[in-house]
Amino acid sequence: MNRFVLTIAAATAAVMTLASPIAAQETLMVGSECTYFPFNYRDSDGVLKGYDIDVANEIGKRLKAKTEYVCMKFDGLLPALLAGKFDLIAASLSITEDRRQKIDFSVPYRLSIGQFVAPKAKKLALFNADGSINKPAFKGVRIGIQRATTYDNWFQAIVPDANIVRYEGVEAIYLDLKSGRVDAIMTNPMKTYLEFLSKPDGAGFEVVGPQITDEKYFGTGAGIGLRKGNDALLKRIDAAILDMKKDGTLDKFSKLYFPFAIYPVN
Amino acid sequence: MNFEIALVWESLPKIVEGMGLTIELLLISLTLGTALSVVLVLMRISGIPALVWPAFLYIYVFRGTPMLVQLFIVYHGLAQFEFVRNSVLWVFLREPFWCAIIAFSLNVAAYTAEILRGGIQGVDRGLHEAGRALGLKPYQRFLHVTAPIAIRLSLPAYGNEIISLLKGTALVSLITMYDITGVARTIVARTFAPYEIFVSAAIVYLCLTWLIQRGVGLAERRFGRYVRR
Repeated sequence: MNRFVLTIAAATAAVMTLASPIAAQETLMVGSECTYFPFNYRDSDGVLKGYDIDVANEIGKRLKAKTEYVCMKFDGLLPALLAGKFDLIAASLSITEDRRQKIDFSVPYRLSIGQFVAPKAKKLALFNADGSINKPAFKGVRIGIQRATTYDNWFQAIVPDANIVRYEGVEAIYLDLKSGRVDAIMTNPMKTYLEFLSKPDGAGFEVVGPQITDEKYFGTGAGIGLRKGNDALLKRIDAAILDMKKDGTLDKFSKLYFPFAIYPVN
Repeated sequence: MNFEIALVWESLPKIVEGMGLTIELLLISLTLGTALSVVLVLMRISGIPALVWPAFLYIYVFRGTPMLVQLFIVYHGLAQFEFVRNSVLWVFLREPFWCAIIAFSLNVAAYTAEILRGGIQGVDRGLHEAGRALGLKPYQRFLHVTAPIAIRLSLPAYGNEIISLLKGTALVSLITMYDITGVARTIVARTFAPYEIFVSAAIVYLCLTWLIQRGVGLAERRFGRYVRR
């Protein structure tokens, strides 16, 4: 029984590896979630939009391939990619070690970052002019973060004596930032921009200091996911993303949704 | 699924660190709440409508709503108002600790007032009459006859109230505090071992409950001297 299954699997895999390079030149099948605003979502007319989609479309254009999309739940994307339902994942998929064991990733086209948000009136100087951390300025400043997140790890390693207040979810963090129970918060600036800063509630608050991209804590970002063994395709996608970074296309895409760059600048 | 007993031993000392805050919250809100409950119960049995009704309403409201909702109203609700944030009160209300003390004390007061009222009503009428026959004034009768017996009658229910307050203090983990539950949740978020860690927290709570039960038991014996034969 087992051997039978293995044989079938091996045969399928062999067929797929043979078939995919040919198919990829015509059509790139892209898997995405299609519900994750503003990265991959459908607008009110049902048109697929978002930063991930823009990037995937542009990759298709540069590879001279057609792009077609398959929408499914986020946790189904990886198995479906492995099963050959599509060739790429463009769904803000963070590059992690666990995932790397199963699939390959392109170079990141979106950052994983942390940033501070504080009331404008407070004029907190948590960072020096050159962007380095001004550790003494953290004294007496209460900082709200989500419990056991990358931000938590970053604080414990970089500013261990900071006055940290840990929260279960982001809603309570915004409430307490508004009320002044915490003086600043550290979050994902994209999320905070969408949920807080761009809303009337967030007026009077601003991001403080640079985007913190420390890879050791925040990871390398989100990339395009591919099945292993597609090295030629991977190389072409990497080249396309690097070009898009250089010629300002990624910048253009990120400014469509955010007032700041969300791709790795360096 | 396997149960790692080692994790329990590792996490217990950290959880015990959170015990200090739990005990602090328990003792302070119990003291303040009980003091307030005495005022409330005196109002409630005073027979003066202007005093009875406010006390009745207060007890009705605080017994009729979940303590979590009361805590959120004090913590999140009051913080919403600019005049609260600009007032002196904000010095206290900014701190989750005092928000918890306020909510818990108000809640305990309502329950304890009802417990005491039950105790007072349970005192045998014959004792009142005996007191009057001895020529004791009403306040003397209350202080020397009714109150001691009422306290004895209220003790078992009051012991229950202390234990439910102890368990209620776990709610502060939802407003960023590190009590027993708060510490446990933080460890769980890091170790992904909810079973072992929460079992450890439960052990610590059980030890505290046991102490409270013993304490109330001793008090019952002391206040119950008059019925022992």
